[in-house]
Amino acid sequence: MSARAVEAIGLVKEFERGRRTVWDRLRRRPDRRERFRAVDGVDLAVEYGEIFGVLGPNGAGKTTTMKMLATLLEPTSGTARVLGRDVVREAREVRRRMGAVLSDGRSLYWKLTARENLEYFAALYHVPGSEAAERIQHVLNAVRLDDRADDYVERYSTGMRQRLVLARALLPDPELLLLDEPTVGLDPQSARDLRDRVRDLQGQGRTVLLTTHYMEEADQLCDRIAIVDHGRIVALDTPAGLKRTIGATEVVRLEVTAANGQAPVDGALLGRLARAGEVTHIERRDGALAVTVHSRSARDFVPAAFDAAQAEGVAIRHVEVVPVTLEDVFISLTGRALRE
Amino acid sequence: MSGASLAGDLRAFGAAALKEWRLLRRYPTLFVGFLFWPIALPVAYVFQARAYAGDSPAALDAFAQRSGTTEVAGFLFLGWAAYMWISMILWGPGTALRTEQVRGSLEALFMTPASRLVILFGPLVSQVVWALWMFSVVIGTMTLVFGVDIAAASLPHALAVIAVAVPALYGLGALFAAVVLRFGEVSALVQAVRGVFTVFCGMSFPIVVLPEWGRAVALALPPTYLIGDLRRVLLAEAELTDMLPDLVVLLALGLLLTALAVVAFRATERYARRGGSLAQY
Repeated sequence: MSARAVEAIGLVKEFERGRRTVWDRLRRRPDRRERFRAVDGVDLAVEYGEIFGVLGPNGAGKTTTMKMLATLLEPTSGTARVLGRDVVREAREVRRRMGAVLSDGRSLYWKLTARENLEYFAALYHVPGSEAAERIQHVLNAVRLDDRADDYVERYSTGMRQRLVLARALLPDPELLLLDEPTVGLDPQSARDLRDRVRDLQGQGRTVLLTTHYMEEADQLCDRIAIVDHGRIVALDTPAGLKRTIGATEVVRLEVTAANGQAPVDGALLGRLARAGEVTHIERRDGALAVTVHSRSARDFVPAAFDAAQAEGVAIRHVEVVPVTLEDVFISLTGRALRE
Repeated sequence: MSGASLAGDLRAFGAAALKEWRLLRRYPTLFVGFLFWPIALPVAYVFQARAYAGDSPAALDAFAQRSGTTEVAGFLFLGWAAYMWISMILWGPGTALRTEQVRGSLEALFMTPASRLVILFGPLVSQVVWALWMFSVVIGTMTLVFGVDIAAASLPHALAVIAVAVPALYGLGALFAAVVLRFGEVSALVQAVRGVFTVFCGMSFPIVVLPEWGRAVALALPPTYLIGDLRRVLLAEAELTDMLPDLVVLLALGLLLTALAVVAFRATERYARRGGSLAQY
């Protein structure tokens, strides 16, 4: 067994932006396509048995990274080994030992039953004929679809289809599972259910590498998280470790208005607030100034904020104190919110 | 490739055919279509031939001199049956790949360790059932409706000719699949090739009526041999040994086209993996 379930060093993937038509080629016009890096030097080391999350906004390079690890994309440079095998030179071996969910229920055959879908993929995964029926029943049980196994997939809900996609990925009895945004498009109940299944998989000793742009999902599920932005890993630690990096335990959100009901001029007020905590985000919204502050103790900061408001002749109309989240970590690292 | 891997791929091949067959069964009206066209298309040409020549002995003699048979209906039915089967194969792998791409299942298939040949040709195996069904309908109509006399002993010979033609035709189908992976669209090319086959391969007329350069083109195309030899075994009761040179050419074309298809498909798969076009359509 190799030392790590996934190991990537300096992984880069470049794509071309723009187009060059056949006409352009025939006319021998210069190639004006621009190359851009979707993944820009990612180093990754996923240990056996952990749930490792890649958290980042849409377009950060998460899916491209997963596709390279799943052998669907060839890296432009850098190397990646999955379960000790090189994803380019030993692609077929990688596929044999890994399961992946990189697509939604659209990738199933809707006119087949769940069992028929799995029978087909069991054969493609080279599951021995003598074991196939038992393996299929096992994965159906694992995702709790055994009672609907002989229904056409077209009659399934979105959540059920996503569970079937997960069941398909489990067919090779993989040591490693790659899950790309596994809960996108699911209702809260289905998403919670799928997260439970992922925890079960870890309980069975499997390694899970998942991408998500849902910070709560990453926080709840993952042992370690890599935060990615613009194709690069900007932080990597346990969820608690990442939250510690911003040097606060609580986030205080204030909405401040001037006496005339308008958003106040912020300079002097922010100067006072900054002496009591770290002002991380300011936004004018609905005639108020929305201020986000990282604080070691909201109990100390909130009275200080009211004193500052009184001194500047403005009113605090709303106060919200919440624990530090990964969203706050992302904002402190990139200056943007995850959903921007 | 290890023995276990080969056995796995063979099982996967069967599973791909079964999957395709199950999907086809969910649309039973397709069977009606396959009952209709193998009869309707050649019948139209049979009546056209009658309109031109009627029962004139001179016209039939002229036709026999050029085609080697007086069975106009049999000649046309076999030509069009072969054409329809060839069309199925030409469309088959490319369409299967394109359907998977549009459906969103192509990446899921490419993430399995199964050989690409399974993904490419597995679904086509189910079409053997369609082909058998179509040839049965054609031969039944020829014999029962048009009174064409076909010896039972000729049928295994016809099957042998079809079997020899399979690598060449499947090779062509796989080449089209490579085009799908590269350009995402193949219908215009398939239509053009079908047009070439219709004109040069003798679907509805003997190729001796073509100009010399046209005959040269015909002899470079695998369907010419398939159609000509099917007519010879079923209508003229020729022996396979009589057609040995044709069958050798057909096999050689098959090997060449299959090798070309494998190389082209690997190259385009690599292109798709570099550019990320597997999931694009």
